[in-house]
Amino acid sequence: MKTVLRSILILAFLAGCFWLYTLLFPSAEKVVLKRIASLAATATIARGEGPLSRANKVSNLIGFFATDAEIAYDVNGVGARTLSGRDEIREAAAGGFVGLASLNVRFQDATVRMGPDRQNAEVSCTANVSANGEPNSGIQELHFNLRKIDGEWLITHAETVKTLR
Amino acid sequence: VLFATGGQGLLGKGRWFILNAVTTETKTADTEPGWLQIALIGRRPKFTLVRIIILVTLVTLTVKFVLLPIRVEGISMEPTYRNHKIDCVNRLAYVLHEPKRGDVVAVRYSEPGHFSEPSQMLMKRIIGLPGESISFHDGRVYINGRLLEEPYLKSSCDWEHSPIQCGPNEYYVVGDNRSMPFEYHVQGRAERDHIIGKVLL
Repeated sequence: MKTVLRSILILAFLAGCFWLYTLLFPSAEKVVLKRIASLAATATIARGEGPLSRANKVSNLIGFFATDAEIAYDVNGVGARTLSGRDEIREAAAGGFVGLASLNVRFQDATVRMGPDRQNAEVSCTANVSANGEPNSGIQELHFNLRKIDGEWLITHAETVKTLR
Repeated sequence: VLFATGGQGLLGKGRWFILNAVTTETKTADTEPGWLQIALIGRRPKFTLVRIIILVTLVTLTVKFVLLPIRVEGISMEPTYRNHKIDCVNRLAYVLHEPKRGDVVAVRYSEPGHFSEPSQMLMKRIIGLPGESISFHDGRVYINGRLLEEPYLKSSCDWEHSPIQCGPNEYYVVGDNRSMPFEYHVQGRAERDHIIGKVLL
């Protein structure tokens, strides 16, 4: 009984050490996933959020993108368009935020593929967006390409993907 | 005290008698738990705890890896699957064989991998298999130019579309509600690895 108890305690201790290690030194995949989750949180606008807070959100949002970033989207009812560079993205984000009472953005089922040099990553996820508190949300598959620039993971390319072709 | 008394002078018989007496007393106390205890944790709490742990583990593993609970949102599968209906996706359905025509399947949006909770998926019926050509004429489906019988359809439509070729790893999926206009109905070729299982009921 004592041996079993000791073994369990040792295993629990090792598991705790491993958990602490992953917490202090997260893998690149985890950092990328966290970055994508932060992007969704930054793009979310709560009802009643003032213009100053929205402007702040736009500038924070731009920080997720590389200077030469590109966003290509083709969404039913919105059409197809490509945004190139931070300025165009900032303009589109600011314009999009103006007419909305609230916006809820979630990126679900995210999977990360790291490049061989571990400096590039590809993320595939399902974007779940609902505007103005509407119960019917828009769901869209998204692909992101990220690059580690000056120690920070920045989006270099984002595009909508048609799940059913 | 009882044990010490029984152990004196190697009195095996007496020792047994005393020990038995102790056991009998304990058993009498164990077999008469209060009704509240019986209702809450059973007659033997240790076994109840073990049963609970086993049950929770089994349910968690089943829900996570075998039967994925789903709630239907939307009207594209009506009347077969009504909006807000609760169902399950059998994730092991295609372990031994590939998806078949007529199967109602769950298709995930993003690339295979981790599932968020809650997750979003498409629920569609397979009408075209890999390598086949699918076309719509006067609201009816043609596979490689031959008419497909669809007994599950309850409404007619006037969909028209030129042949669409499925790749070697692609299945053509569509909803049962064909009364919707073609361009508003989400349908098309799904890659095999995006099909996560068969809808159970």
